[in-house]
Amino acid sequence: MISRVADHCFWLGRYLERAESTARVLQVTQDLSLDAGLTPLQCWGPVVVVAGEEARFRSRFGDALGDGDRVQRYLAWDVEDPTSIRRSVSAARDNARSIRETVSLEAWEALNELHLWLAGTDAEARWRDDRHGFYGEVRRSCQLALGFVQGTMLHDDPYDFIVLGVMLERAAQTARILDVHHHALTDDALQVIETAVFLALLRACSGFEPFMRRSRGAITPGGVAAFLVLDGQFPRSIRFSIASARARLERIRPSDAIGRPGAESLERLRRLDSWIADQRAGAIAAGADLHRLLTRVVDDASVVCDAIGRELLGQLPGPAPVETGQ
Amino acid sequence: MLDRGLFAGYRPLPSAYDEAFRADGAPRPEFEGCLAALAASTASGFARQQRFAERALLDQGVTFSVYSDALGAEKIFPFCLVPRLVSASDWARLERGLVQRVLALEAFLDDVYGEGRILAERPLLREVVLGSKGYLAQLRGVRPPGGVRIHVSGIDLIRDPQGTFRVLEDNLRTPSGVSYVLENRALSKRVLPGAIDRARVRRVDHYPERLVAALRSVAPDGPDGTAVVLTPGPYNSAYFEHSFLARTMGLELVQAPDLFVQDDRVWAKTTRGPRRVHVVYRRTDDAFLDPEAFRPDSVLGVPGLVRAYAAGNVALANAPGNGVADDKAVYAFVPEIIRYYLGEDPALEQVPTYVCARDADRDHVLAHLSEMVVKVVDEAGGYGMLMGPQARAEEREQFRRRIAAEPRRYIAQRRVELSTCPTWDVAGERVVPRRVDLRPYVLNGAGGPWVLPGGLTRVALVEGSYVVNSSQGGGSKDTWVQSEPVARSDA
Repeated sequence: MISRVADHCFWLGRYLERAESTARVLQVTQDLSLDAGLTPLQCWGPVVVVAGEEARFRSRFGDALGDGDRVQRYLAWDVEDPTSIRRSVSAARDNARSIRETVSLEAWEALNELHLWLAGTDAEARWRDDRHGFYGEVRRSCQLALGFVQGTMLHDDPYDFIVLGVMLERAAQTARILDVHHHALTDDALQVIETAVFLALLRACSGFEPFMRRSRGAITPGGVAAFLVLDGQFPRSIRFSIASARARLERIRPSDAIGRPGAESLERLRRLDSWIADQRAGAIAAGADLHRLLTRVVDDASVVCDAIGRELLGQLPGPAPVETGQ
Repeated sequence: MLDRGLFAGYRPLPSAYDEAFRADGAPRPEFEGCLAALAASTASGFARQQRFAERALLDQGVTFSVYSDALGAEKIFPFCLVPRLVSASDWARLERGLVQRVLALEAFLDDVYGEGRILAERPLLREVVLGSKGYLAQLRGVRPPGGVRIHVSGIDLIRDPQGTFRVLEDNLRTPSGVSYVLENRALSKRVLPGAIDRARVRRVDHYPERLVAALRSVAPDGPDGTAVVLTPGPYNSAYFEHSFLARTMGLELVQAPDLFVQDDRVWAKTTRGPRRVHVVYRRTDDAFLDPEAFRPDSVLGVPGLVRAYAAGNVALANAPGNGVADDKAVYAFVPEIIRYYLGEDPALEQVPTYVCARDADRDHVLAHLSEMVVKVVDEAGGYGMLMGPQARAEEREQFRRRIAAEPRRYIAQRRVELSTCPTWDVAGERVVPRRVDLRPYVLNGAGGPWVLPGGLTRVALVEGSYVVNSSQGGGSKDTWVQSEPVARSDA
């Protein structure tokens, strides 16, 4: 397929996943802030950090990291925040619009309707009157678009590139969410309410029910961390996401396709995948250096994305200033 | 007699031909059934359907870009749900005339870029051709793959007060709008199923399959070659159409940086390395096609594309250089061109045109400027025009000076009273007469020309306006071409 088209597919996947993830984190944090007994700063600060927006947020709003409404408005609506829901959806839609011949009509319409809804007055009213419902609507619409991608497009290269983008974004999101909350939990002051935080952490990754099934109801900090890093069947664990990304890339660029572009990307992704698979749940549960592990996941995933961009996506200086990265 | 219902207050204009109603206010008999079905709507019901149609276009992203900001502002091309009807017998006449016209213009282009017989025999035409901005001298002697140059044409027609269709202009370069024909039809079917059923309308949704067949029929190395659609990109106002056609034809939509030329062959940059391209349905203007051949500052172009085309290794649809045949001054010679190459009389009328390059014509135009519509030969989209009857005296003076200085750049026509069609007035919630034109689409491939039974009806939504261009407040309508009656019940 055309490299530029592959680039748009990849970023369509990433932005859709990011929009859904941001909506989910905000929704969960909103719940958490109501009754967990945490200070507003303990609730909302990590959310801005997960988005990688701490510096920009501080430069504009100073120490308002504990102002839940400010944080939510920033991460949901702010057009100067490149990770906001509004911008992510708009960027996903711009990417889709650039490849409308490739994206199925159903997937395009679902995404376009979400974009138009966010641009209109209905979404604002929903945001005002029913915050939880607003986030739910964003999440549903993102999943609807991804569901149409999965259910109505050919499962060939364009589809594989979209899923590759989704999975790499997801691995990094899960790593960041876990990392930030892991920090919060090492703070002694928080130990009393750790269960609430861990539940929120699981919910922020859509992992509450799956985890409860896995652990038969036993919640321990180490167990939650091991689950989110290593579970082989939970679709948002780091291991699952990276392994799925690798499987997609191997379909796009089989390892025996010597001479075809993509060798470095595949090699790097394969190394990251094997490394994660070698981690031991017991060690993580026992408190191994989780922060170092998560940092490596985020960094390596970013290196893989760069290699993919260079080798497969052409990164052409095209005339269309469509947003394809940060 | 028809219960006029929705059309109760409708009065055709006294000076124009109305597409649906006779001068006495009675429906044209061939459309009576369909009009009765439409008339059954109430005004408020129709208003609701019209709003629903507009919402559907927005949701589907059937839009054109207004300007680009971070959140992507786009607008729908205004759509009027009241259809424009064309009878089977009118259509049969149009079809014949359009095919004839395309064949003659193909022969003309072949000659102009080949032997140049007609130029040797017609000195004035020679002067007009050689002075035309659309004439690309560097393409002399180049034969296009498959021998076809006008793969897609959109030939604009208007209808005079007597009801005679006349060609207003030929669009032989990158005519747009066909996606709206298909989308408008899809909407009509959703919103007005009863009326469309009564009208026995011919289908239009096979256009993409006909287009891709025409494109493949001229591929240099046989019909299995790779064809692509080349777009200037998402910020082009017709981008929706480019993606629509690529999607419905199952072709890749590429931008110039996706292609490169090596060894006079065209290649696409793919995730699996370079892939040979045999046919490019390009929606980029000639000037921006290839910085090596034309404008060196073009970032939209593919360097070497014209070289590959001249070497016969890639088919370009439409062929570069077609602009000379839809030049507004050459237009005046088309009836003569038809007789010259085909030995037939033109089956379609056109608008009598004064070519200012001809001294007698120029003098006549200057003497009657207040009755004339003056056009610059190489402008499109309704720009650079003088509407003599409405213009202010200073504007006329300006044009008088310009025409005298550069007569070759101007042609003039008497204003033709465009026909009207019942049109939904959104503010007034009623049906009113508004002026329309018609752009049918003709495809040409190895198998010869084919006319899509339908077309884009553009409508001047503003009362009293004659300008149907979307850039200047025009909208569109679905065009319903009636099927031939299965059997005649009367003699």
